[in-house]
Amino acid sequence: MRYVWATAVKDLRRRLRDPLALALWLGIPFAILTLLSLAFGGGEATPQARLLVADEDQSLVSGLLAGALGQGQLAELIQVEEVTPEEGRKRIGEGDGSALLLIPPEFGDAVLTSQPTRLTLLTNPAQSILPGILEEVLSLLVDAVFYLQRLAAEPLSTFSGGPPDGAATFPDQVVSSTSVEINQLVDGVSEYLFPPLLSVSVEVEEPEGQKTLNLGTLFFNSMFFLAILFIAQGMSDDFWVEKRQGTLMRSLTTPHGVTSLLAGKMLAAFVLLLVMAILGVTAGAALYGFPAARILPAALWAAASGLALLTLFTLLQLFATSQKTGGLLSTLVLFPLMMVGGSLFPFEAMPGWLAAIGRRLPNGWALEQFKAILGGGATAVGLLPAAAVLLAALVVGSWLAGRRLRGGFLAR
Amino acid sequence: MIEVEELRKEYGELVAVDGVSFTAEGGAVFGLLGPNGAGKTTTIGCVSGLQRPTAGRVRVMGHDVVLDGPAARAHLGVVPQDLALYEDLSATENLLYWASAYGLRGDRLKQRITASLEVTGLLDRAKEPVKQFSGGMKRRLNFACGIVHEPRVLLLDEPTVGVDPQSRVRLQELVKAQAATGTCVLYTTHYMEEAETLCDRLAIIDHGKLIAQGTLDELRAMLGERDLLRLSGRFPSETQIAAALGGREGVEIVQAEEESLIVAAPQASRELPALLAALTRVGAEIRETTMSRPSLETLFIKLTGKELRE
Repeated sequence: MRYVWATAVKDLRRRLRDPLALALWLGIPFAILTLLSLAFGGGEATPQARLLVADEDQSLVSGLLAGALGQGQLAELIQVEEVTPEEGRKRIGEGDGSALLLIPPEFGDAVLTSQPTRLTLLTNPAQSILPGILEEVLSLLVDAVFYLQRLAAEPLSTFSGGPPDGAATFPDQVVSSTSVEINQLVDGVSEYLFPPLLSVSVEVEEPEGQKTLNLGTLFFNSMFFLAILFIAQGMSDDFWVEKRQGTLMRSLTTPHGVTSLLAGKMLAAFVLLLVMAILGVTAGAALYGFPAARILPAALWAAASGLALLTLFTLLQLFATSQKTGGLLSTLVLFPLMMVGGSLFPFEAMPGWLAAIGRRLPNGWALEQFKAILGGGATAVGLLPAAAVLLAALVVGSWLAGRRLRGGFLAR
Repeated sequence: MIEVEELRKEYGELVAVDGVSFTAEGGAVFGLLGPNGAGKTTTIGCVSGLQRPTAGRVRVMGHDVVLDGPAARAHLGVVPQDLALYEDLSATENLLYWASAYGLRGDRLKQRITASLEVTGLLDRAKEPVKQFSGGMKRRLNFACGIVHEPRVLLLDEPTVGVDPQSRVRLQELVKAQAATGTCVLYTTHYMEEAETLCDRLAIIDHGKLIAQGTLDELRAMLGERDLLRLSGRFPSETQIAAALGGREGVEIVQAEEESLIVAAPQASRELPALLAALTRVGAEIRETTMSRPSLETLFIKLTGKELRE
């Protein structure tokens, strides 16, 4: 046991002599995560559409329409900005804004007199989702205007021709009688109008047990496992390194067997993986609000998974004909694991059939357990079968590696 | 003590070691001398337990290296031909690891690390990463790693290959000092001079076979104090040469080829004119003559018919 410990301490010392490699293993995935968070707004804020409105009518009706677009809960979704038609077209051409709504002159009169009129919505081709939302909202409002016109056309038509000849404004009597008429009308339909209040709410359906997941956490999980993959693949050529520098041969002339040597190396790798995992998951907890109680279980699972992946990559290296071939072979395996196994793109962003394959890959399977632990959907008892599978993989992998070390590896 | 009995190691069709037997005692340096590819490193590999013999037995301090490997290896210290060091770690950290691998700990561990650094002259550089060391310093540390646990048996596989003369002398002194403490040292080399100055007993190995062994004096006696004459030119058949030189006491043909001839002869400088005349009479055309005094090299040529560095 003392030799196992001495080997682990020695290996950890060697790793710490190369802090840049450690920083890169963890740093690259987290740099990608930061970039993705910036690109997608961290997955927390609701995206907001900027609607440019060029109102050439400047009537009561056009004002109501433009105002309705930026009020209530719609204001959280749509930011309305008044512009001239020329400025609006120029800015949409430059990609500044989600859409431009052109309200033509005489729009209000046309609505009040039931005459045909046209609203024009120019959308930004560089955006796909936000202009679509604006189209839907505008369509709803146009419908609302239509029904308003149907209900209140008669009293409102009083105003369509403008004040009586020789007067600057409508007489008080006309205004009050029309108001009373509209009030009675609204009162009559209030049962149907209040409420059909229009409210917008955004809900993302989440799988059971993963209530805290969002875009940021999905990418966090993937990037975190990318780091684990990098560490496992990066450490996998250590037997070649030791062979090249002669220390492997010297180790095998000590009274201890290959098993002790392997155990020492695995202990060092586990400690290193655990420290990196704790750092990574703690950073994730700070960014995405995972409960502190889940940090250690998730980090332990990640470290154990990393160790199993390291064993897999080590086996590939040991059966290769040279260190160069071993590196190539492990990289060839790393890429599909990374791309399909959810360690670069989340399964949620993949086609169903591909995600199903990915979840069956070693890292994909481990990632799903990790997500369950971090999301609070895994219990210690529920994890036992998975832990048993992981342990079995480690035992079989180590046994094969030991056989290879005792066999032809040194002779190559 | 190392006991090797009828050791044989095959790699497929290739027989690397073929029936080698020798015994190396404690307190002495036993040299295994032979050209590159003779089977020296394979023999050391079998003694250290790195390679499993195809046949034969190897015992270290009475423990069979195959049947009782850990016990046998516990007595071994190995200084491999190539450096076996962690270059990112310091000299102390290297020694700490190798000493720990042999169960040293506590005060004895510290004491042995200091002693090993001192004896190899590395005490003042103990904390520096090994990658900053010169080649000679690395060689000395490589040696220190082999002796830090005070092994009863020390295996050195051509430790002076590629080493500058000064470091070579220093290493040889270290080996002698180690043997003086009672350690059994098995030392392989293809340097004749090194074997002559360092080894108490020698075994000459070629093509996997042990062709001679004994003390230096015993080996020299095999030559019968004869000088070695190397002649180049054009020569008749071996039969004609044998006939021409026949009857001369102590003269022996070591190697006869169309363009070269090697002859062992007592007091060759005095006999040289008569030998040349006899060879000329049977049609030999001699262009160049070289004479060498009896040495391990002449013995090797006598035994194998070729030079050691071929």
